[in-house]
Amino acid sequence: MPYKLFDVDKEIPERKKHTYVKHCSDPEECMPHCNTTTIPGSMSERGCAFAGAKGVITGALKDVVHVVHSPVGCTFYAGGTKRYPTSPNMPDGSKFPIENFNLKYVCGTDLMESDVVFGGMKKLKQSIIEAAQEFPEANAIYAYATCTTGLIGDDMDAVAKELTTELGIDILAFNAPGFAGPSQSKGHHIANHTLFDRLVGTKEPPTTTPYDIGLIGEYNIDGDLWILESYFKEMGIRILSRFTGDACHDELCFMHRAKLNLVRCQRSATYIADLIKEKYDVPYINVDFFSTKYCAENLRTIGKYFGLEEEADKVIADRMAKVTPELEFYKKKLTGKKVYIFSGGPKSWHLAIPLENELGMEVTAVASQFEHEDGYVKMKNRTREGTLIVDDPNSMELEEMITKDKPDLILAGIKEKYMAHKLGVPSIMIHSYENGPYIGFEGFVNLAKDMYSNIYNPVWNMIDFEENPAPEETEIDVESGETPENEAKVSK
Amino acid sequence: MVRKVAIYGKGGIGKSTTTQNTASALAHFHDQKVMIHGCDPKADSTRMILGGKMQRTMMDTLREEGEEACMDLDKIMSTGFGGIKCVESGGPEPGVGCAGRGVITAITIMEQQKVYEDDLDFVFFDVLGDVVCGGFAMPVRDGKAEEIYIVASGEMMALYAANNICKGMVKYAEQSGVRLGGIICNSRNVDGEKELLEEFCERIGTQMIYFVPRDNIVQKAEFNKKTVVDFDEDCNQANEYKELGRKIIENKNFVIPEPMTMNEMEELVVKYGMMD
Repeated sequence: MPYKLFDVDKEIPERKKHTYVKHCSDPEECMPHCNTTTIPGSMSERGCAFAGAKGVITGALKDVVHVVHSPVGCTFYAGGTKRYPTSPNMPDGSKFPIENFNLKYVCGTDLMESDVVFGGMKKLKQSIIEAAQEFPEANAIYAYATCTTGLIGDDMDAVAKELTTELGIDILAFNAPGFAGPSQSKGHHIANHTLFDRLVGTKEPPTTTPYDIGLIGEYNIDGDLWILESYFKEMGIRILSRFTGDACHDELCFMHRAKLNLVRCQRSATYIADLIKEKYDVPYINVDFFSTKYCAENLRTIGKYFGLEEEADKVIADRMAKVTPELEFYKKKLTGKKVYIFSGGPKSWHLAIPLENELGMEVTAVASQFEHEDGYVKMKNRTREGTLIVDDPNSMELEEMITKDKPDLILAGIKEKYMAHKLGVPSIMIHSYENGPYIGFEGFVNLAKDMYSNIYNPVWNMIDFEENPAPEETEIDVESGETPENEAKVSK
Repeated sequence: MVRKVAIYGKGGIGKSTTTQNTASALAHFHDQKVMIHGCDPKADSTRMILGGKMQRTMMDTLREEGEEACMDLDKIMSTGFGGIKCVESGGPEPGVGCAGRGVITAITIMEQQKVYEDDLDFVFFDVLGDVVCGGFAMPVRDGKAEEIYIVASGEMMALYAANNICKGMVKYAEQSGVRLGGIICNSRNVDGEKELLEEFCERIGTQMIYFVPRDNIVQKAEFNKKTVVDFDEDCNQANEYKELGRKIIENKNFVIPEPMTMNEMEELVVKYGMMD
């Protein structure tokens, strides 16, 4: 059987169809069950649809204020933006006055009981107006429905429309309440459609060139986009619109003017590339810039499209000369090391082959929180026989995998990191990186360096875990809940 | 021991009118201590008891003065005819917010203060016509109303609504122990009304607890911002409400209804619709 049931999942056998062990002779349809509701009992690490909209798609924009229409908790979590640095450069040559504005501020409506009963639209309106006054430099305000406001049916589109006229800047409403889908993926989808419907085609770029591209699904995690931008610049290609890393609001409005769209994250942003292709006839290609090989291949493809093959080759040669010696060193050190890739979406299939072929590592498990079928097809094609492919993994499964299989390293997120550490296994954050950027030639070296320094960190040899002593019957002070023993420990 | 009663029925059937008239009869003729908690966002469940005064609702108090203010009973409760205590949940205007959440919030606040337990014989929850969401089922959740009376008439739409309410309450009956005490017929002077109602009640396994005849004095009293008992305690209609009150006090017939299927409902419609 190509599917595996973890010991920890024996009470929830439905998990079995989400965990596939690759066999090369399996028919095509053999893959993990995906993009469906989380199985009760599985401590999923997924986010909600609202997190997908604000946390992934729009949080990367440099000049937008976000108003979360929610009780205060959702706003707090919306404030924790991913590592999406932004530059002050605007398309018309001006500078946005606040550095990394998107990482610093978030607004919310702080709904209370009576707002729920009487409706929150007045408060939303007031909050947006206050946000505009507080941040007059902002070029647009994006407002978000959450579970509460989605349920009571606040007409956020009406508020957005009214205030767009009143305030003279674009106000957008994103109707992706947390419950809108099984994972954050649905929020990506809704945000793509909202941005396309409301913005694309509404403005014209200050200038155009025959070498204008749209870079879609690149969010500039820890500076990824800037690496790619340097390659394109040297090739003579201009990024007209970014979606949405280091982008400004206006760039989204003139996305229709790109000559070619590149889709970097194919899970979260293919939607808008499809919509633009359909309405404005702008072609797009799927691209992959992780590792030297994929990066070189894709730069050549893009070079060929624009008749800039030589320029592409020049960039590739220049970077390869810089990174090859270093990568050789890391390959020696990393060869034979066993690694898991637990990504949110596509990084599992972006990185599987590069880690094996270019760094000699063994990828024995990949996982994704919210990939769809097309992503799992790629994961299956890009992993070796016997690799475990897990959809919507939970912490206990990962713990079982680590304990039994003892990998040398896991690439995962903050939710897995400290559990891995407690099991004596190093972990690198692959969603938001450690010492990134990780994309492109230089980025791949950064990743190799982080993997090397984590695996070879002497701390892993010093860890000596003490078993918890068996619980003894001790007198418990009912009021403080502390045992005399605990107190003694504290006073030491 | 206080008896908590929820009154349901199709919109416009006369739930609030029947509740207020019955409550005043219980207080005036039977010496019962009664409270009415209006659970309709329109907040018109206690107006006649209070002599036409529109009471300030709990939700308005919550919105304007905060939750603390709702803990002050003087701010949310008024006393009217026959010492009847009156509370209105209130809620948003149509089309915004969440009226159901308003009902939940209001009842929760009342329970926190144990108002329903406080030296009372009857609490009536007068609920919105359609149980459109969980909030409007709040009065029959566990530990709240134990008895339901449905106000209906000989009009088919009223019976469809009554049947639907029964469907809804079956689920709650298992969980919370709420039981149907009967159907109150608020007569519209339709032909064969009493027979139709009696057959309907029999089919769903309950009783028609009382047939309240149509009498213009009800409207006349309303124009005077009073219940019938308050307006003219000696009139026949006051006596009808007195009898309804007595029946409710003495009622022992509490059941989980067996609502009819759509087909059965239609057969009943044909049977009585074809009579003339």
